[in-house]
Amino acid sequence: MNNEAKTNVKPLLEVKNLTKYFPAKGGKEVHAVDGVSFTIEKGETLGIVGESGCGKSSMGRTILKVHEPTGGRIIFDGEDITDFNHRKMMPYRKRMQMIFQDPYASLNPRFTVGDIIEEPMIIHKMGTPKERKAIVQDLIETVGLKPDHIRRYPFEFSGGQRQRIGIARTLALKPEFIVCDEPISALDVSIQAQVINLLEKLQRERGFSYLFIAHDLEMVYHISHKIGVMYLGNMVEFGTSDDVYKRPLHPYTRALISAAPVADPKQAKEKKRIILQGEVPSPLDPPPGCPFSGRCPYATEKCKIKKPDTYEYDGRKVACYIYAPENVKQYSDAGKTPEEAVFLK
Amino acid sequence: MTEEALFRKLEAEEKNDEFIAVESQTFLQAAWKNFKSNKRALVGGIVLIVIVLLAIFGPMVAPYSYDEQNMALRNASPSADHWFGTDKMGRDIFVRILYGARISLLVGLVAAVVNLIIGTLYGGIAGYAGGKVDMVMMRIVDIIYSIPSMLYIVLIMLMFGASVGSIVLGISISCWIDMARIVRQEVKSLKEQEFTMAAFVLGASSKRILVKHLLLNAMGQIIVTVTLMVPQAIFTEAWLSFLGVGISAPQASWGTLAQDARSLIQVYPMQTVYPMLAICITIFAFNFVGEGLEKALDPKRKR
Repeated sequence: MNNEAKTNVKPLLEVKNLTKYFPAKGGKEVHAVDGVSFTIEKGETLGIVGESGCGKSSMGRTILKVHEPTGGRIIFDGEDITDFNHRKMMPYRKRMQMIFQDPYASLNPRFTVGDIIEEPMIIHKMGTPKERKAIVQDLIETVGLKPDHIRRYPFEFSGGQRQRIGIARTLALKPEFIVCDEPISALDVSIQAQVINLLEKLQRERGFSYLFIAHDLEMVYHISHKIGVMYLGNMVEFGTSDDVYKRPLHPYTRALISAAPVADPKQAKEKKRIILQGEVPSPLDPPPGCPFSGRCPYATEKCKIKKPDTYEYDGRKVACYIYAPENVKQYSDAGKTPEEAVFLK
Repeated sequence: MTEEALFRKLEAEEKNDEFIAVESQTFLQAAWKNFKSNKRALVGGIVLIVIVLLAIFGPMVAPYSYDEQNMALRNASPSADHWFGTDKMGRDIFVRILYGARISLLVGLVAAVVNLIIGTLYGGIAGYAGGKVDMVMMRIVDIIYSIPSMLYIVLIMLMFGASVGSIVLGISISCWIDMARIVRQEVKSLKEQEFTMAAFVLGASSKRILVKHLLLNAMGQIIVTVTLMVPQAIFTEAWLSFLGVGISAPQASWGTLAQDARSLIQVYPMQTVYPMLAICITIFAFNFVGEGLEKALDPKRKR
């Protein structure tokens, strides 16, 4: 593909330098999301990984404007929706949806399953009551529930079934882009696979794009086309899932992937784990330099003073000085790749 | 035994035989079942229904009106003609108590409506909006709360005269405060739940989120609070009338009846006891029902 053709294909969602600070006590601010940029194409899944509190969920919610962004731009299908109010957002609400983490909290306990699935269509004034009922029937079966479940209440269902109800509610709007905010972390392992398979099937059939937030690396690798790794509100590495998972570049990604458990005990014994020292800094008072500099075994003085830009290296984006063009050149002059030069020293 | 005898393949229609699930009940069905099993609440409910029926239909069929005097028959003892006897003006006490029930229940009804509409919406809006709006709204509530209700009730009485309307207005001004605070608290915690965020992401308007998602879920708490606020209002009216700032003679409220009989308490103590009993029974009945509802509507019982 030549460059011209590339620019003509607009990504479905483009996030530029997105920032979200929450006010905290004492005039301080929680830096939940601190300048994150990425794009999602049609029919593609972007997996976001990172430990608890790294701003994954806040980012997902800010993109859907549950929180007003502090800075940056959100561009959906060529339209900048960053400053849209409730009324102007309405057509986009239909196209951008969310699946929630806690299937016990995300369904109104006083609504029947039928009411829950019908509600989005009532809000967007879609169809007559009769047509809506037919769609509800249809959706119930699409997500693998029984027609007689319509008159039941959420508390009568298991976690996996409730998550299906939540998915059916989302599908009622026929969205194009869905933020999945840890949709499986509250479910049993056996049920996780069912829900994931359902999400994948829907993507194949309807061409959804997902922003899939999770902390289970294996699962994200399995479902995603691209992976973004977040640390303390920053996107430290972003690339295709094979690249990121099989050949992590950023020191944090390397530590994260080495910490993932392996099913085979023999392999697990041989596997070298990178044990990180220290703790995640408080997002109330992030370090001035690279957010990871305090725990990074390869950190230099420069890392602690100035935050690295995001560098393009080997087809992906990495926010680490190791991959700064001048350093890469220096390493290659010595006949090594940056990884060999730094990690295998 | 052979393996075949032990295990056999299920027929298609047998596969669902072991489908285990609780009987599907709506929220209200479950609450009603729960309420019925609570004897005290049930008795309270029946007593309330009897009181309401007596208050509505009693005066219609009674042979006397509330201010009909019979000077020949003053301070009479209970008899077939006068079930609770007569007072110092020869008026039938039973009929007067029935009229008093009308006033008390009217006060209670108005208090309930004010609580449900003003208290619920005020608290709901304050809790949902949060921030500065919440702050200002709750400070207004604090101000209303800090002025003794006696003060504006007396002022209203002076302006509009001592009538049922004035006392109802006076009680309405402040009776919704507790409700507003309770609803605000409830809405604030419900607002943090994911289903509220889900509704927002779906594009629901603030009004829809507040009414369909927040207040609907706070309904149990709201109903319980109403049943506990009503007896409070009834008691306030009786107490004000007893002190002479409420409804005045010849109109009969339970408070004025007790006040009228007070001067004769040493000679005819029963004349004071009847209205007091009426107040007690009504308030107990409301409280029992409120308690029963609180247990029946508690969402934690079901999950």
